[in-house]
Amino acid sequence: MGFRCLTRGKSGLTKRLKASERKAAILAVAKVLFSDKGYHGVSVDEIARRVGVSPAILYRHFPSKESLYEEVLNQIACKRESYVEAVVQSDGSFSEVLRMITRRYVESVSRDPDYLRMELQSALEGSDATRQFFENRWRPFTDYIEVTIRELQPTGKVQQTDGRIAALMFQGMLREALYAKCIFRTPRYRELDLNELTDYLVTLFFRAIGYREDND
Amino acid sequence: MAAFDMELDARGLNCPLPILRAKKSIQSLTSGQVLRIVATDPGSVKDFEAFCKQTGNELLETMQDGGEYAFNIRKG
Repeated sequence: MGFRCLTRGKSGLTKRLKASERKAAILAVAKVLFSDKGYHGVSVDEIARRVGVSPAILYRHFPSKESLYEEVLNQIACKRESYVEAVVQSDGSFSEVLRMITRRYVESVSRDPDYLRMELQSALEGSDATRQFFENRWRPFTDYIEVTIRELQPTGKVQQTDGRIAALMFQGMLREALYAKCIFRTPRYRELDLNELTDYLVTLFFRAIGYREDND
Repeated sequence: MAAFDMELDARGLNCPLPILRAKKSIQSLTSGQVLRIVATDPGSVKDFEAFCKQTGNELLETMQDGGEYAFNIRKG
């Protein structure tokens, strides 16, 4: 597996880093390693070696591997996508809002494939709390879709559909698009770029639940 | 606590739902009237700041009581 070099341990540069910079360097390296090898596949020694510090210095910033992992997750949580702009600019319809928040999420996550790799790793080996963390990142979609389907159903604008299941299936489709384009880089969907693929799957989703985009 | 003309219960909802509901509620108010939103999503604090900045409505007050947040927004 190809690691990306973030800092050079023997250059002496890291020795001159301030404590806050060193902490940031540890977090950056830890994120890359956790995303490549998973939580259990990485040791504190390895992270320290990659940063170019001793394990003792690493422990000064983070008392355990768990706390380091948690801090990596916290940093991700702080970068939560904002959907405010999408909502403000949209006409408020299911069609526009779902398209806009999906684009916003895809844009943000495709810039940070390490995040997606961490999510994949956590699905295989993470603790329940970690899995929950990643599931929560999808909640803007699942909650929004579920609530909107429930509200639209009495108006006949969508078919009788289980909103929760539809929302989770949407999440699964979007995940597949992101994994295929940002992680596996497989030739499937080669005729579409990520944005086109995302738009296509939103269209497919609306069709599947019997929602006509021009009727809201 | 400031008076308000309409109250929106957004408890238990995650972004973008509280913002979407607030946008719809504000449309039914006249300029100068106040909408009060109660939410439980901690992210709503930043979201409503951004919402007011982007829509020209005024965030009069942000309050917190345990896990609940309340926002008073005056329609611009």
